Amino acid sequence: MAETIIETTGLTRSYGDICALKPIDLRIPEGEWLSVMGHSGSGKSTLLNLVGGLDRPSNGSLRVGGEDLLALSEDGLARFRREFVGIIFQQHHLVPYLTALENVMLAQYFHSVPDEAEARSALERVGLGHRLKNRPGELSGGEQQRVCIARAIINSPKLLLGDEPTGNLDHKSTVMVMELLKELRAEERFTIIMVTHNQEVAVWGDRTIYLDDGVLVREEVMRS
Amino acid sequence: MPVLIPILQLFAWTVILLVVMRGTPGFRRYVTIGAGIGFALGVAGVLVISRLLPGDLHLRIIRTALGVSFFFLWAVAVAAIYRSNVRDIPLFRGKRLTDSPLPAFACTIMTGVIAGSIIACRLPGFDGAAVQILAFAPLALTGALLAFAALAGEKALPTSITVTPSALLLTVVALLLFCSSSILRLDLFSPLSMKVMKGIHDFVHQFMESVLIPDHIFIRPEIWGYIGILFGKEVGFWGGMVIWFTPAILIALAIHFEPLPSVAHIRQGAQRRRLLADAIRTRRSRLVIPAVAVVALAAAAYQSSFPSVEYWDPKPLAVTATPAGDILIPKKGEVDLWDGKLHKYLYKQGGKEVRFFVLMTPDGKLTVDLDACAICKPDGYGQTEGTVICYYCKTLIPLDTVGKPGGCNPVPVPFTEREDGVHIEAITLYNSWTRTVQATTRIKENGK
Repeated sequence: MAETIIETTGLTRSYGDICALKPIDLRIPEGEWLSVMGHSGSGKSTLLNLVGGLDRPSNGSLRVGGEDLLALSEDGLARFRREFVGIIFQQHHLVPYLTALENVMLAQYFHSVPDEAEARSALERVGLGHRLKNRPGELSGGEQQRVCIARAIINSPKLLLGDEPTGNLDHKSTVMVMELLKELRAEERFTIIMVTHNQEVAVWGDRTIYLDDGVLVREEVMRS
Repeated sequence: MPVLIPILQLFAWTVILLVVMRGTPGFRRYVTIGAGIGFALGVAGVLVISRLLPGDLHLRIIRTALGVSFFFLWAVAVAAIYRSNVRDIPLFRGKRLTDSPLPAFACTIMTGVIAGSIIACRLPGFDGAAVQILAFAPLALTGALLAFAALAGEKALPTSITVTPSALLLTVVALLLFCSSSILRLDLFSPLSMKVMKGIHDFVHQFMESVLIPDHIFIRPEIWGYIGILFGKEVGFWGGMVIWFTPAILIALAIHFEPLPSVAHIRQGAQRRRLLADAIRTRRSRLVIPAVAVVALAAAAYQSSFPSVEYWDPKPLAVTATPAGDILIPKKGEVDLWDGKLHKYLYKQGGKEVRFFVLMTPDGKLTVDLDACAICKPDGYGQTEGTVICYYCKTLIPLDTVGKPGGCNPVPVPFTEREDGVHIEAITLYNSWTRTVQATTRIKENGK
């Protein structure tokens, strides 16, 4: 049985009077692809932000990769994000005046030191070997998302988080991105947590959990 | 200022201890005990030697120790830069020795002895006849207590700051030089600048007299203007600065060129880059301590160039010659010639001014000298701490050698001592000034 990479107990997040995430207990084994579904405002992104160390919980316990995130200082949390987590956003968040290659190297720079050959190789792995010198504005939505994937995996994270990564993509591009993630996961053995509205995307995962109004209401194992 | 300097010296001593403790993490206790013992020994040593042996033997011992340390630092700096570029050289074969606390303990005792003795020399009244013994005990105790304070303070230093052995030596020597630079007779930077200046001066003289430049008449006056620059004290100052700072620069470069670890065998790119980034960060943080040393060396050079010591430098009294050409300085009059202080006079003839002084040397004899030497520009002399100092090149001349010709000593003037006072022949004084002093002025200012 795979080791647990994420474990939450009574994890809660409130913003003033609004409780975005009600006490939630969750165990995610290492290497699992977990899809998180729910309607808008159900707490999907809140859960993702907490697990990725982008936000701090109001209550409960949260251990990711053996680290108690509540005990980490701001510097410790930044180190955790830098070394442990890769994130793919719906809106890409690429630096518009840097080329695809430079965008990937920027992630290397903040992690450790840039290595152009390695960044080039990462972009070739996501099928963008011919687009290295193009800026984000010169790339299609699917290509931009693939740059984001290259950027997210360049530092070999143990945990890859996706916040609606295919939200802006058409069906063909969505399938391409999902195929790519599947391949990379098989090679790199990272754990994926993917927030999505789209049932088509959710089925790529091993398991899907459903959130409603901050409460985990249902979970479904997608494959045997 | 007199209070501030010992405080700064004790602060420098604390920084020395912090750096040594950080550089010898396994032997902090030994370092603390060694430093405490060494400092107390240094203070006591100065007290004993200065009381038992007359003269400035203790100062000469300390100055020699500092000079040897500086030479050793140079050797280590050259070895460090060499080693940073040639990988396969063992740093030190006696690993078993460095792994034992004995070397750290012995070196800390030595450092403590030098630091304690330097700081003890600043004690008030030390230069006078009565040594204030009571002041020594609190100083020795303070130095020893600071060793224990540093043991606690070292833990507060960021863990990222690490020290290489060469940087450790650099910082210790730099801070000791900083401590000594506030004491005129222990200062090394001014004598170093002076030696550079005089070395260049002698070289140019030898060069002129060699066959390479057969005679001055073959050289155009403009060329002499440039050659004249070599006689200025600025050349000595900047030459001294180069010698002063080169070990620090070499050691910083050695750290900068330290080879990065081999990561070729690591398959995962991120892990490979992480290792490289850590090595680069460690290398960068190792430059912090040499930077402290550079600041200490710069402060030492500044203290040396602008000493806080006040010189006895009275305004010259105007004197005239009798029709027979005799200048009389009365023994009892406006000034007391026997008070052991420098007394300056100004004699004017034909629009030219001649400065000279009368001084009673420690052996009780009077001497009359020009307020200038045969080498430097005639900036004159001041008196302090048992010496006179040449304002131009900052050379210290012990009072018992004033009146003897040569080097940077004031040029002696023949005189006759009678009942009524000191008699000087005006023409002899005037010629002496013209012959020696104005010649040096011409060289310094106009070249030929």
